[in-house]
Amino acid sequence: MSNGVLCFAHNNGKIDYLKQATFLAKRVKKYLNLPTTVVTSTPKDLTAKDKKIFDSVIEVEDQNSNLKRYYNGTLHHHQLVFKNASRSNSYDLTPYENTIVLDTDYIICNDTLLNCFNQTQNFLIYDKATDLCDWRKLEEFDYIKDTGIKFYWATCFFFTKNSETKLFFNLLQHIQKNYEHYRKVYNLDKTFRNDHLFSIGIHMMNGFEKGDWAGQLPGKMFYSLDRDFVHSIKDNCVKILVEKQNYSGEYVLASTKDCNVHLMNKFSLAEHING
Amino acid sequence: MDEALAKALEFSNFTATLNGQKRILHEKYLDDLVLYYNNGKFSISKETLNFAHMLISNNVNNTILIDDNNNPIDIADVKDFHGLALQKYADATNKYLTSYKRLIATKRSVESIVDV
Repeated sequence: MSNGVLCFAHNNGKIDYLKQATFLAKRVKKYLNLPTTVVTSTPKDLTAKDKKIFDSVIEVEDQNSNLKRYYNGTLHHHQLVFKNASRSNSYDLTPYENTIVLDTDYIICNDTLLNCFNQTQNFLIYDKATDLCDWRKLEEFDYIKDTGIKFYWATCFFFTKNSETKLFFNLLQHIQKNYEHYRKVYNLDKTFRNDHLFSIGIHMMNGFEKGDWAGQLPGKMFYSLDRDFVHSIKDNCVKILVEKQNYSGEYVLASTKDCNVHLMNKFSLAEHING
Repeated sequence: MDEALAKALEFSNFTATLNGQKRILHEKYLDDLVLYYNNGKFSISKETLNFAHMLISNNVNNTILIDDNNNPIDIADVKDFHGLALQKYADATNKYLTSYKRLIATKRSVESIVDV
């Protein structure tokens, strides 16, 4: 049985997701000792040196894309293209029997995710994560809407290839294809989000009610929003400047050690990867 | 700015950072308490340890425990499970204590708090 990590990196002209993917693959090798495959529609942006970091590079066509507001701290933002449509193809694309799918802005700092391979559930995902900022209470990460279903993070998930997970990913493709319909049924905004896609899919797999079809990923996921800045990433230590309550543009420091962290400020992350 | 106010704001920054770090350390501690055993996931608690100890005291060396995901897990060797659980609890708690002591013992500056 082969195990590995799959990530998606589609450059949009402003943010170098492939650089992030390379950074991720190095950390996956270091902390998990697993191979990483990258799926990209912009393979020309990958240098020959960086290409060697990956187990394989899968080229796909540029699929439909969204516009998304990317913050860089609390005071600045850019409206950029967000190419996030290919994640529902993970089952067909992965070369591994057991796959961990990760966002490229996920900073691996420990080996906890290896426990995915020593358990019996077919699909694992986080339904909870810990904000590094202690005053923010974002209900959008509990339920997809005030009156909606439970929220799941598509940032990181695990699946084993079998008929059940095949069914799930086929369902995701169907929902994505008919997103306009489903977003109305689930009372969502127009912007397509993988988190919402997976949340709807899991809700359906559970028979349209709460259930445990999707298991909990091992370990904890910490996160910081794009309103925060990355202060430093050194080995297994991540330091973040998190936005301060009631003081827009001011920040307080937070740090983690041996914790996996999802860093959403792509601009700030790029400075540390490139620097 | 008035000096007293500036000092108060500086202390406010320090407190906000300290409280944030305490919360992160506690979350990490909860994560460190998890034992993965025989395809099951167990958050080790005093209850888990006492229950396993009670089984051993009653000469029961195999049992079934319900894990964090509500899956029944066969524990073929309760002594082995108890030993690992106790070790996990001790490691996580010691690590938490060390980090916490370091946190509150630091000089009153934001930089020293986050240098964990």
